[in-house]
Amino acid sequence: MNYPFERIHGPMTRKQLLRRAAVGGATLSLPGLLAACGGGGGIEGEQAATGAGETTVVQELADEITVSNWPFYIDQNDDATSFPTLDQFTQETGVKVNYLEDINSNEEFFGEIQAPLSRGQGIDRDIIVPTAWLAARLLDLGYLQKLDKSAIPNIENLEDTLASPPWDPNRDYSLPWQSYITGVGYDPKKVGGEITSVEQLLDPALKGKVTMLDSMEDTAALFMLEMGGDVANPDQTMFNEICEKLKKAVDDGQIRQFTGNDYTGLLAGGDAWASLAWSGDIVILQADNPNLEFRIPDAGGISSVDTMVIPTGGDVFTASTFMNFFYDPAIAAQVAAYVNYITPVKGTKEAIAEIDPALAENPLIFPPPDVLENLHEFSAEAIENPEFQEQWQAVIGV
Amino acid sequence: MTTAAEPLPRRHRGSAATRLWAFVRHHTLTFFGVLALAYLMLPIVVVIVFSFNDPAGRYNYTWEGFTTEHWTNPFGPPFLGDAVKTSIEVALIATLVATVLGTLVAMALVRYHFRGRGATNFLIFVPLTAPEIVLGASLLTLFLNLGTALGFWTIVLAHIMFCISFVVVTVRARLVGFDRHVEEAAADLGANEWVTFLRITLPLIAPGILAGALLAFSLSIDDFVITSFNSGTTTTFPLFVWSAAQRGVPAEVNVIGTMIFGVAIVLMLANVLWQYRRTPKGAV
Amino acid sequence: MSFLHRHSWLTPYLLLAPGIAFLVLFFVVPLYYLGYTSLQEGTVQVGYTFNWAWDNYTSAFSTYREQFFRSLQYAGIATILALLISYPLTYWIAFRGGRWKNLLLLFIIAPFFVTYLIRTLAWQNILADDGFVVGVLQALGIVADDGRLLATSTAVIAGITYNFLPFMALPLYVALEQIDPRLIEAAKDLYSSSTKAFLRVTLPLSMPGVIAGTLLTFIPAAGDFINAELLGTPNQAMIGNVIQSKFLEITDYGQAAAMSVILMAVILLLIAVYTRILGTERMAG
Repeated sequence: MNYPFERIHGPMTRKQLLRRAAVGGATLSLPGLLAACGGGGGIEGEQAATGAGETTVVQELADEITVSNWPFYIDQNDDATSFPTLDQFTQETGVKVNYLEDINSNEEFFGEIQAPLSRGQGIDRDIIVPTAWLAARLLDLGYLQKLDKSAIPNIENLEDTLASPPWDPNRDYSLPWQSYITGVGYDPKKVGGEITSVEQLLDPALKGKVTMLDSMEDTAALFMLEMGGDVANPDQTMFNEICEKLKKAVDDGQIRQFTGNDYTGLLAGGDAWASLAWSGDIVILQADNPNLEFRIPDAGGISSVDTMVIPTGGDVFTASTFMNFFYDPAIAAQVAAYVNYITPVKGTKEAIAEIDPALAENPLIFPPPDVLENLHEFSAEAIENPEFQEQWQAVIGV
Repeated sequence: MTTAAEPLPRRHRGSAATRLWAFVRHHTLTFFGVLALAYLMLPIVVVIVFSFNDPAGRYNYTWEGFTTEHWTNPFGPPFLGDAVKTSIEVALIATLVATVLGTLVAMALVRYHFRGRGATNFLIFVPLTAPEIVLGASLLTLFLNLGTALGFWTIVLAHIMFCISFVVVTVRARLVGFDRHVEEAAADLGANEWVTFLRITLPLIAPGILAGALLAFSLSIDDFVITSFNSGTTTTFPLFVWSAAQRGVPAEVNVIGTMIFGVAIVLMLANVLWQYRRTPKGAV
Repeated sequence: MSFLHRHSWLTPYLLLAPGIAFLVLFFVVPLYYLGYTSLQEGTVQVGYTFNWAWDNYTSAFSTYREQFFRSLQYAGIATILALLISYPLTYWIAFRGGRWKNLLLLFIIAPFFVTYLIRTLAWQNILADDGFVVGVLQALGIVADDGRLLATSTAVIAGITYNFLPFMALPLYVALEQIDPRLIEAAKDLYSSSTKAFLRVTLPLSMPGVIAGTLLTFIPAAGDFINAELLGTPNQAMIGNVIQSKFLEITDYGQAAAMSVILMAVILLLIAVYTRILGTERMAG
């Protein structure tokens, strides 16, 4: 490589200066030109909902289907290289499944998919599994296609409590995948005892070893329950108080990080001793760290539904067939036995008793009524409220 | 070295302590150098070692046991193979285009005087130093405003863009030391410009072009920031690693990383050796 | 061919045309679009409109001033550390390397060939709370018993230093390698100590390398976000993290673009100063 040693020779002559200014001026008019070409509107937002769900469905199975889901959400072998139920699906239907565990947090995922969807383009996915509030937003924006219910006879197995959410009353556009519980995942040995309340995560003895979820509907909601608030109608003042408290904890170094699903690595490796966590994850993590435990706080836990939807560009028939497959109680039982989340499929309890009777009594998969009473869902309106959003962004740092 | 008259008398001489101190001082630099190199190589060693680890669950953080199964089946994890394939395809296309364009620019810069030379130099230089995030973000705004679909081809365009400058710099270094008299001799002997270029010039600057191409290829395979802004839902190898980092990086990633590293080192050594052979001693 | 003979002044422009056209289309034009986007406002739900939204800039600067200065701070410290590590290292290779120079140089370049992310993840492993390094440092008392290395600014700066070390080392090496060793010999003969010889002769001669390495390290480091993301917490977020999040997650394109423009403007300023001192001709090669 040659090397800069010499200074530039002499100051610019007047002629050079004038010439360079002229060139600069000419190039400045370029954006004006391009702006005119690109239209004054800037980046396009959503296109008018083109009724993407109205096209007639071709009743033919595609060669392959691509599914985006959260990690740890389907039965698999220890290092996640093979998925028994997916293999079974392929055997029965001949459809190859590309199963991606690329949803880490709802906000992140939305950021990735919104640009093409807003222009009516597909995202190379046939099924995605956002949490209910994001599914509602996607439906609202016109990014989803209607299910082909004629391909989903098993839809009658859907639990009655989940059959009619306010944002999709006839389940025309969505079907639950699993319901989850948000609570505390922790290592009792490292923490030195039991954790019964999220307040304990702010104990200085755990400084730097605590992580919390970056979703307000999990973290802020749990603290709100602790303070006796109503998460279905969150009070702005209480929310602000919680944000202040958490911000202080971050500044003090108490909270190590706000995470999406990636708290699992920190718990598994021992870099975190206690995290706000999702129920089934902890069970799967016990392969990496056998000491881990999950606990619903006494003041109440948070629950919501991760929902299968078909985005623009997805193959409706094949996706619907896929959904139907997983609403067979025997298959649902296989999945639930591994992931330990709350299954939305009726009849799973009986089916799972055949695999392992103890699982039929597992409160994480089949919560008894007293547990269910203690589970709440954070208001979707609050999540979409810009003031709540702004406050929360300030807490989680970016 | 200059032929020595008698050496100037050394100041410190005599006591064992001062000689020991001189020894230590003399070798401090070597000691520090070795330490620094060890520091540079430490993460690489960790990556290679953990590619042989047999983790209990999903997370490859603690050493559990030795296994070669990740090496015998490196594309086990779903989608890893596709991601690597995409990365290689992007890199091949981007390298080809960037090398051609970059070599032409380098030739123009070295051999001709023309107006706008300073501006050209500036234009080549800025992408080299601009933070990747600005390059990636600005490309994203271009594609967003034009309504282009993000995917494989936007990645390729982005990669070509940042590779051109690197190729120019590398090829130019080689061209500057090139002796034009050989070309003149060929012309005197009756060769026209095309023949001279193909049979004389090109072979002689080939190592430089190859070095530029190699650099472009490795930059493209490795790129994360610019790609992440312009990839849409397409996945390249670095993007795969990033999303895997959130849920457990499989040991196969270490394997692929080691392989890329190995290939690059081998190619680089080969290029250096080839250059050594072709240039007579003493010439550049 | 004869057309070119008659108009041989065209040749350089023809050679330049494709490459420069590409760079203009995909480097210069996007920068204008970056500026254009920075003056838009909106959300994905309602679409974005261009309306000279200068408040993107003011709000970006006031809300994220901390991250912006932190980036400069981290990049600065990392650059100084990189210089302190690289200078003796490259000096050693250039003057004591002898036959092994190129091989030793390979060690400096080698980390480049492991994917950036994988290198940084390896540091996650090395600096883990239960790991070897932390254990040793705790035994030595450098790290408190309940302290940690990961998820601190130390780890982030260490990561940035490591990842950008070759950018500092290579220009330094080139500069040092071109110094005639006889000059140093002469200096040692003239000055009473080798320290003085170094300060009076070697250091000034290597200055261009120092300056080049400093800029080549500081500038990309200031825009980095990967080290902060993988090795730090939101407390260590740099401006790169904010830009990445705003573009790819929150999709607040207006503000994100504004921040990118501010970052780029500061850097162009630095480059302009640099070219004034050293000249464009030598810079690109």
